[in-house]
Amino acid sequence: MSVQSGPQWKARSEMKVLNTDVPRVDGPAKVSGRAKYAHDIRLPGMLHARLLLCPHPAADVELLNVEPAKRIAGVVTAAELADRPDRTIFLGQPLAVVAAETPEAAEDGLRAIEVRYREGGWAVTPEQAAAEDAPRISRRQPNALTERETGNQGRTERALEGADATIDETYVVPVQHHCCLETHGMVVDFDGERARVWPSTQAVTGSRGEVAQALGIPADRVEIVCDYMGGGFGSKFSIGPEGLAACQLATELRRPIHLMLTRTDEFLMGGNRSGGRQRMRAGASLDGKLVALDAEVWRHGGIGRGSNPGQPYIYKAETDSMRIGSVRTNTDANRAMRAPGHPQASFAIESAMDELAYAIGMDPLDFRMRNLEDPVYHRQLNRVADEIGWYDHPNRETPGIPTGGTNVGIGFGVSTWGGGGRRVCVVTVRIDPDGSVTSSAGSQDLGTGVRTYVGSIVAEELGLAVSQVTGRVGHSEYGPANASGGSTTTASLAPAVKDAAHNARVAFSERLAEWLECGPGDVVFANGEVRSGTNERMKLTWSEACSILGSDPIVATGEWQSHLQTSGIHGAQAVKVEVDTETGGLRLVKMVCIQDCGLPLNRMALRSQINGGMIEAIGYGLFEERIIDPWLGVALNANFDDYKLPGSTEMPELVAIIDDDDERQQVIGMAEATIIPGQSAIANAVANACGVRIRSLPLTADKVLMGIQEKA
Amino acid sequence: MRVLELEVNGDQVEVGAPDHWTLLEVLRYRLGLYGSKQGCDKGDCGACTVLLDGEPVIACLTLAALCEGRRITTIEGLAPAHVRAGGRGPDPVQDAFDRCGALQCGFCQPGMMLSAWALLADNPTPTRGEINAALSGNLCRCTGYTQIVEAVELAIAEATGATPARPHWAKHESTPPKPASVDGREASR
Repeated sequence: MSVQSGPQWKARSEMKVLNTDVPRVDGPAKVSGRAKYAHDIRLPGMLHARLLLCPHPAADVELLNVEPAKRIAGVVTAAELADRPDRTIFLGQPLAVVAAETPEAAEDGLRAIEVRYREGGWAVTPEQAAAEDAPRISRRQPNALTERETGNQGRTERALEGADATIDETYVVPVQHHCCLETHGMVVDFDGERARVWPSTQAVTGSRGEVAQALGIPADRVEIVCDYMGGGFGSKFSIGPEGLAACQLATELRRPIHLMLTRTDEFLMGGNRSGGRQRMRAGASLDGKLVALDAEVWRHGGIGRGSNPGQPYIYKAETDSMRIGSVRTNTDANRAMRAPGHPQASFAIESAMDELAYAIGMDPLDFRMRNLEDPVYHRQLNRVADEIGWYDHPNRETPGIPTGGTNVGIGFGVSTWGGGGRRVCVVTVRIDPDGSVTSSAGSQDLGTGVRTYVGSIVAEELGLAVSQVTGRVGHSEYGPANASGGSTTTASLAPAVKDAAHNARVAFSERLAEWLECGPGDVVFANGEVRSGTNERMKLTWSEACSILGSDPIVATGEWQSHLQTSGIHGAQAVKVEVDTETGGLRLVKMVCIQDCGLPLNRMALRSQINGGMIEAIGYGLFEERIIDPWLGVALNANFDDYKLPGSTEMPELVAIIDDDDERQQVIGMAEATIIPGQSAIANAVANACGVRIRSLPLTADKVLMGIQEKA
Repeated sequence: MRVLELEVNGDQVEVGAPDHWTLLEVLRYRLGLYGSKQGCDKGDCGACTVLLDGEPVIACLTLAALCEGRRITTIEGLAPAHVRAGGRGPDPVQDAFDRCGALQCGFCQPGMMLSAWALLADNPTPTRGEINAALSGNLCRCTGYTQIVEAVELAIAEATGATPARPHWAKHESTPPKPASVDGREASR
């Protein structure tokens, strides 16, 4: 390849680093315990801060006196939040903040704050909120509001009448929490002029602007550092009220402030995946076509709007119509959470597809393929069906019936996502005369492996080992970058890294051409050497080549190149489950996910993303549900004991398959897609095992057992 | 307030701390050992797991004053202990977690590795069920545990000279790519 041409990804067969299993460059820092997260930052004179949260879903704050807190030993200050309302609108809304020498002194301070609430009317469940006499949650609009209508409902009604089989069912999904192991928060060090801030964030660049605004200083005086962060999953884009509170304290005290949410605060005000309710009226013809679908979609996003991409999701109906809206409650607003809205939509459509397939006596896999236009799904479904053992499974056209013992079932689901990028990142690659190479991007590594590919793309370009290039991320001084959300990081950043690497190589080639007695286009970088492509005896070791630079390093920047990325991905999952028909207990036996992603950058990291998507869906399918007492308005499971996350003993055999039949030579983000269909496939597997269709998540043993008893 | 005499990672340390402080508070707010993470502060997540006389304990529920006269090992102490015991290179459990990619954000990993380390010290050849049981007190939101179990099995295989079991996914890698090497740390295949 000539260096004069623009950047192009190499053929996969020629790649030495990319598309292999690359151990994380920050692996040693993480496994040794050296990796420092926001939680771990300690500065001289630093204070610990805690927030006072309203314990009611809605209340008038009749009295809030922080003065008694200031008299508590160790407390340095206590303050009402700058924007605290007179009337709260969600359970856990923060009102005041205390800064103290130790975290426990700050908590003592919270308890000393004098506060009197007059509990107002509130609604914490969608049913309460939608009731006629429900208190109004937003002044601007009713609690339940249909926002959009699509399709022609009259036509769908007629198609439903003409269908050979119909269903009319309602599917309910609960509120799920992100459960980042590191809670939200930041450390802010502000001297009145400049600030250095360590947030646990998915948006280094965005945080810089938010902090600057909160501190009232220009953005160029704010430095954001996020070397490591303990999980985000969509909940850590903004610095949030906790970040604003930290900035407020730092402004008042001019001392470093460490404000990380407690685990309970995290559950109450750290965001969530919206719940929802979807009524699906669907009809099929005996030859396996989805002839009609009318959907009524409600999103339950607390004081937020919730998310759901709408129906029909992925599958094609001959005629469809939908009404979509949201029901607000006095609970924390939903935030983006890994594939926002898609798992919700998936649960309704995949369940409905299964129900229809059995209604017409058709293999649900076959029925799916007849209503999926994209052939990629056919290939992927066949692959996961083969791996899970569908073709040897007895209940293929009819679900099993409860045997009194253990029933085995298999279920399926598919996913989609965009994963394309946009122009925002500027990456710098620097080659120093001593042979060191750095690749710097003001992006962030949430644990996906960004830091590793920021280095390894450059290593591939320069024919070096991964360890010869230092990938640097997590610092606002490294250049602008987009927030890591919507699986847009890879497709936005990797092309800019590639472009910078390419530009560095071109610039270096021009410097070396004379020494190698060849044209710049004939300089070859491979195997840690630089040589002439026209005379193989003319070659330099990497350090010899770099020493030629004298005192002038190569510094090249790169920007997004749209041709190096694309969007549009597909995935399919299959689950095998054992149902104990005596107790309703479920045991996942095996879960398979195939995922395409264009050009893989790091296969090991990809498989890890696929596994991680599957387990979050397992949690959503089997265990996770935020519970707020509808009579008392109290959060009942705002902790990791009562809010159950899947653990190691609940893991089935997870099989992560990278779809290498996808030969697109462009990168695409893929992580979100892997979480979308898992819970749907689990519900379908339960129905396949014993004929019990559970239409509300999570699939707890009590629901399954009730279903079995109803059948008996 | 009292002066605690603790043995932390092989070092004798004297540290002043309030009587009611937990071991996690002493580690994180007095001794500068931040590897033990504060994930929930009530014994649910396992991110603060450390070893007390070789047994995994939840540091956020362990009173520091009760740790006097006992050996405390944090994640920072594994590699030095390995070297003191005559080992070379990194601690085998940490090394296996690294090479198997058994982490994403990494926040739960210190606790996870100490649970795994204690298991292998007690039972050098556990079954997969025993591995899962030993790790069941350590929550991980990112990885799906699969590569974590692979890492423990790799550490077992390397300690016993056995060949590690082929992971479930391996047969789907049509042309198994050559693992790239980072500082001689080859990915496990």
